[in-house]
Amino acid sequence: MASESGAHIANDKSITSHAAILHAFEEFRSDLDLENDRRERIVKSSRDITINSKRVIFLLHRLAIAGIDDDGVKDDRTDYVEAKKKLAEIRVIFKNLQHELEAERFWHHQSAISPGMQEYIEAVSFLHYLEKGKMISYDGVLNSLRDENGVLLCPLSLDDYLLGVSDLTGELMRFAITAISRRGGRRKAREVSDFVRGCKADFDGFSPYVKQLSKKQAVTSQSLQKIEEAAYAIAVRASEYGENDAMLADIVEQCVMGVKSRGAMYETETPLLGG
Amino acid sequence: MDSGDLEQLNALLDNEIDLKEKIKDFVSDFDKRTRRVQGALNKIHSTPSEDVPRLARSVKPMLDECSLSVSAIAGLVPEFEYWRWSGMWSFSLRAAAFGALFVHYLETETLLSLEGVSSVLGIKDEWKHKFTLQAEDYLHGLITMVNEMSRWAVNAVTLGDYERPIRISIFVKSIFAGFSALNLKNDGLRRRFDSLKYDIKKIEEVVYDVSLRRLANSPKKEGVDESPAPR
Repeated sequence: MASESGAHIANDKSITSHAAILHAFEEFRSDLDLENDRRERIVKSSRDITINSKRVIFLLHRLAIAGIDDDGVKDDRTDYVEAKKKLAEIRVIFKNLQHELEAERFWHHQSAISPGMQEYIEAVSFLHYLEKGKMISYDGVLNSLRDENGVLLCPLSLDDYLLGVSDLTGELMRFAITAISRRGGRRKAREVSDFVRGCKADFDGFSPYVKQLSKKQAVTSQSLQKIEEAAYAIAVRASEYGENDAMLADIVEQCVMGVKSRGAMYETETPLLGG
Repeated sequence: MDSGDLEQLNALLDNEIDLKEKIKDFVSDFDKRTRRVQGALNKIHSTPSEDVPRLARSVKPMLDECSLSVSAIAGLVPEFEYWRWSGMWSFSLRAAAFGALFVHYLETETLLSLEGVSSVLGIKDEWKHKFTLQAEDYLHGLITMVNEMSRWAVNAVTLGDYERPIRISIFVKSIFAGFSALNLKNDGLRRRFDSLKYDIKKIEEVVYDVSLRRLANSPKKEGVDESPAPR
């Protein structure tokens, strides 16, 4: 095709003068500027989404811990209305970005939206776990990103989903460590560590195919080890104190302080405004 | 995780991997074909002026082969997913753009437009949501051409063509002026643009040498010292 039409291509596709070359480059400039500006806007929104999602996560921690009462897992009554309201606010940011990520633009600027998206998924999956005790599915996240008419606010890549939910394990470990020091929180902590162990097993199959997932898996293993150590210490002490709950609670508190002060749980935490 | 959810994720992932493998095969063909084009164009450094048109003609069928690869790849890319996969072939596509640009220059001594390059590589308008030639890739190809031209200016003189460096100089200066008008980010294109000035300097030196010794009787005087070489 190219060689047949070579002669006339030379006529209408040739840029022949200095002025014409400059003109062609002006068009390139506006093309490039348009997308660069768009990228900047997306990065900015992505950062807003990240900050707000982190706040939702902190809020969920507070609500969930407050919801654990002395008998154990009686957190059915805990209501997460406030967190849901904040998540809805994040969706407004997605809504405003919607046209910037239409059609081929989503994949063009995927790396710009991805940090915010992953943090959002972490928040949504945390809430989902607290309410249902299960991992949110890919479709579950997707559905959370729909507006009132069912229109998708932002496409969701598989990588972002997997990376977002694998961050959840870190949050859950933090939750479990805090919970374990509460009287009645120990059962919760065991549930959480079972859940995280399951997640880790599920994700191991994906890590060869998803960049960065193996790094997150390593972090998960670390957190898992921390909670296992705490659970072990408590189990050993519990055998000594038998049914004396009050005394045990004090011991547990000390154990937890020990694990916490080693600080490893927090090392992998990114700063609030990072990225 | 529910086993149903896991299955869904696995299915999604399998599709992805499958598509990636298929694209990879075509990209590897594409890569081989663009290397042939580059290899053939490399002969310009030892080609006497009168044989340049023949060299250009000989490369055209190789560009046609590149367009077969382009069309095979475009056939695989799902709608709206150009950017998801384009990293796999952008290296080859830039090389192919260079080939199209250089062959066109050898034939006409003009700049082939982005649309022109697209058309040589058989990139169709109806693919605009899945395969297009981006300005960035075109510009990368163009810089490769300028890199090549600075060597060519030297070698043309060795082969006795004293006018060539002057014509190259005029052309390349326009290209450089064009690039200077862009707001480049700190990325690969920016670094390559920064390298352009060394090419220009080299061409200038060759022009200076041939002018000083009156080897070239340049009719286009304005091209020689119209503007100083960039720093």
